Amino acid sequence: MRCPAPLRRMLAVARAEWIHNVRDRRSLAIIIALPIMLLLLYGYAIDFALDELLFAVLDEDRTEQSAELVRSMASSRYFTLVSAVGTPAEIERMIAAGRIRFGFVVPRGFGEDVSAGRAGQVQVLLDGSDSMTAGVALGYVEAIVRERQLDLIAEWAARSGVPPALIAPPIDVRTRTLYNPELKTVTFMVPGLIAVIMTMLAALLTSGCIVREREVGSFEGLAASPIAPVEIIIGKLLPYAAIAVADVILCIGVGWLVFGVYPTGSRPALLLLSGLYLVASLAIGLAISSVARTQQVATLLAFLATMLPTLLLTGFVFPLRSMPTVLQWFAQVIPATHFLKVIRGIYLKGTGLGPYTQETVALAVISLALVVLAAKSFRKSLE
Amino acid sequence: MAMHEAAVVVHDLTKRFGSFVAVDRISFSIERGEVFGFLGPNGAGKSTTIRMLSGLLLPSEGTATVAGADVAREAEELRRRIGYMPQLFSLYSDLTVEENLQFYGGLYGLGPSTLSGRMAQLQELLGLGEVLGRLTSTLSTGWRQRAALACAIVHEPPVVFLDEPTSGVDQSARQQFWDLIADLAADGTTVLVTTHLMEEAERCTRLGMISRGKIIAMDSPHALMAGLDGLIFVAEVERPLEALQALAGQPWVRDSALSGSRVRVRVADGTADVEGQLRAVLDSAGIAVERVRETRPSLEDVFVALVGDAGEGEAA
Repeated sequence: MRCPAPLRRMLAVARAEWIHNVRDRRSLAIIIALPIMLLLLYGYAIDFALDELLFAVLDEDRTEQSAELVRSMASSRYFTLVSAVGTPAEIERMIAAGRIRFGFVVPRGFGEDVSAGRAGQVQVLLDGSDSMTAGVALGYVEAIVRERQLDLIAEWAARSGVPPALIAPPIDVRTRTLYNPELKTVTFMVPGLIAVIMTMLAALLTSGCIVREREVGSFEGLAASPIAPVEIIIGKLLPYAAIAVADVILCIGVGWLVFGVYPTGSRPALLLLSGLYLVASLAIGLAISSVARTQQVATLLAFLATMLPTLLLTGFVFPLRSMPTVLQWFAQVIPATHFLKVIRGIYLKGTGLGPYTQETVALAVISLALVVLAAKSFRKSLE
Repeated sequence: MAMHEAAVVVHDLTKRFGSFVAVDRISFSIERGEVFGFLGPNGAGKSTTIRMLSGLLLPSEGTATVAGADVAREAEELRRRIGYMPQLFSLYSDLTVEENLQFYGGLYGLGPSTLSGRMAQLQELLGLGEVLGRLTSTLSTGWRQRAALACAIVHEPPVVFLDEPTSGVDQSARQQFWDLIADLAADGTTVLVTTHLMEEAERCTRLGMISRGKIIAMDSPHALMAGLDGLIFVAEVERPLEALQALAGQPWVRDSALSGSRVRVRVADGTADVEGQLRAVLDSAGIAVERVRETRPSLEDVFVALVGDAGEGEAA
């Protein structure tokens, strides 16, 4: 079979780059150990932070009803009761000292109200300085209180002999969360984490590979040869795309074994889209490597260019819809925005590629554009 | 490439970096099969010229044609027709010699069968057999330069640029390397080589002496040396640097320069009793003189005479 010269040139670059990586222990360590380490680190950090929220209780009511409510709070796996206190000021002191995440206050009259069929009131004192945790904690508290409320209504109905249907609230909101029924953060976070970790790793991998050639002197031989910039870029991309997809498989394995979170949908589709997505990150790294003067600068730029937008602007941490419109538009050109939808979908909803035509097209366009950008930013001139 | 055309034609080539003129309107041409040497101190503009001729730097002014390709307008065509060995070692140090050859063969689009045939040729020409499987990082400088040369000519280019190919190479390996250059030229390859070593320069068919971006002389080494006016004396003295300073101001001394630990002076033809005058000057400066003798002119003497500035004498 005749092999055209451009393909030969790309393969020559790809082979040399592959050999660099397998012979260099440091780069092997980065390729294998870094994604595992980051996934474990962030996976555990995020999992534990929202699992056992410490809280204190101030029960001013001291009735059977209030005690029952406090018991159901304390028995929740999300909360750990630290102590029962006597005054609101004590709660504030404990929050300030960081000993508890929130305080739960049952005011006098709660039991009386509830027994009379009136709405009982409770108060939650939250640590707003950590609004993420506060929001999650409030959500859990509301869920527990709502459940207790329904029980109380049923009890009251039974005692008074009125059919429960008549006294039940006119609108009974029953939330059923699909795809992640326990609302476990780790289930939600692992696919996102894999996306974020791989985004950063991919850009880091390629950020050194052209600037390093300039530093060690091999660049001149390459530049004096007839190879075209786009052939160099694609040649460099090939081995790293293979490495990156292998890393995705590694991350999926770790997520499965350690956190018990695995893709319920089509795994071939996931790998295919991961490859398509990671080309974008690899190309960002290459573009940076083409223009950077030193490897250190390239590494730093790669980190900033991928991590910041991926963490902040893609819906990984903060929901996209809560952002200003301009930022929402900007988010559309960040590849992670689209990939997060896909990877979460395949992990949690068990889908294949079918529902993600739009995202697939977007990823393909963005990746292609970034490869072109990398090729354009590559200069064979030494000036 | 048209048969009648010279391999390299350079006309008024200039390169400026900001206000610094690295190469200043140089013109020359090199015939096919020549070994043309660029001789001059570091920073004279040799590498900048070679980089312009290799399509790595754009000329600020002037034109150059290499193997029929214009360096500014036909860069890709140019790159197919030249071999370039940069001054800095440019092979991958974590690849074996063979893998580097395969890499460069691939860059020039050679197919597997062409490449293996060419590798066999190069092995024979350069004697690379014993180092083919070794990582280039483990090779001596002499072997590294041979491997780099092999990579530069893997695609059989009609024109080869070698930028300081023997820097850091020991004497005997340097001789062998120049034998290889001669072999290449004998096969019809045009070679442009830069050096700051005078004894190497004598092996070129023609030399361009370059100083501060300008070509100050261009001819065969023999003609350059024969064309030098005056007589050359070499003195072995106790403190050469001080001796040089003492001699520099003497009216009967045309040029003086250090050559290793010796002092060389050039005097006008017919100067009487050079040895006596030299000893007198150095005696009064308290410098012991071991031996003074007349010698034939070297390229270094030519260079020193042309530059007319002892400060440039470090070219040796």
